Amino acid sequence: MNPELFLQLDRVIHEKGRLAIMSMLAASPELSFTELRDALAMTDGNLTTHIRALQEEGFISVAKSYQNRRPLTTCSLTAAGRKAFAEYIALLEQIVRQNKP
Amino acid sequence: MEPKWAEENLQTIRTLMERSVLYRRALAPIMIYVGVLGIVGGIVGTKLNFLSARAFVLLWFVVAVLALVGSFLLVRRQCLKNAEPFWSPPTRRVAQALIPPFTVGAFVAILFFFGENALEYRSLLILVWCWTYGCAIHSAGFYMPRGFKLFGWMFILAGFAFWHVSGGGFGGYGRFTDDGWMGAIFGGLHLAYGIYLYFTEKKTPVA
Repeated sequence: MNPELFLQLDRVIHEKGRLAIMSMLAASPELSFTELRDALAMTDGNLTTHIRALQEEGFISVAKSYQNRRPLTTCSLTAAGRKAFAEYIALLEQIVRQNKP
Repeated sequence: MEPKWAEENLQTIRTLMERSVLYRRALAPIMIYVGVLGIVGGIVGTKLNFLSARAFVLLWFVVAVLALVGSFLLVRRQCLKNAEPFWSPPTRRVAQALIPPFTVGAFVAILFFFGENALEYRSLLILVWCWTYGCAIHSAGFYMPRGFKLFGWMFILAGFAFWHVSGGGFGGYGRFTDDGWMGAIFGGLHLAYGIYLYFTEKKTPVA
């Protein structure tokens, strides 16, 4: 395997939990915190940490609002996040192609 | 490093992306339509007071067909309005989740339709319909926003409540009450959920 390709993979996205969050958000315009937590079987703390890391990189945006008088936190991919995710997938596909005999 | 990890990662990403595409439609108009239809079915059945098991099954078969056709048209209208495909992967998954319990409910109805002394077991049929419908809604809820699974549980619990109130079934009460129960359970619950969604659902659903 060409190690250069591996080194080009975005470190922030490459982490298992964050990759799962990015994957889910890439297929949906927005997901609530609870939807993400339930689908990925993460704890509140774990999910918050990952969301914060992705938010700091500018990959996701977090919106807070109220629904039925209850606080609702929704996450969505930013343009930069969508681009970074697409590049990550492209690199993975390249690695897969390279490994095929 | 295992050369297969990239392939496995891609597969995981694909699975997660598929799972996250929830079936999001404005359900309030559909629920209100089905609710009103159910209540009308209950009133019609009670007024006409059919005294045969076949008439009971036929009436509710007609109500079910009207509910399905009307819901289909409402969903289709939403899809056309939002320029989205009707038969999308989430729609397919919801349909796949609904079919097995619906098949069981339909099969029991057929047995009831052709069975001897079937009228005596009408309470059992209502119970089975409550449970199979509840299970169908609960299964579909895995691909829909969160509250939908709870709605499925409402039907399962309504089945228990009905069984308890009707004294264990086997036709221990007047014929018209069956239709009244059907209207109250299926019509009432749909209408209540529809009204709740009307006030709480996001007005611009995302597909």
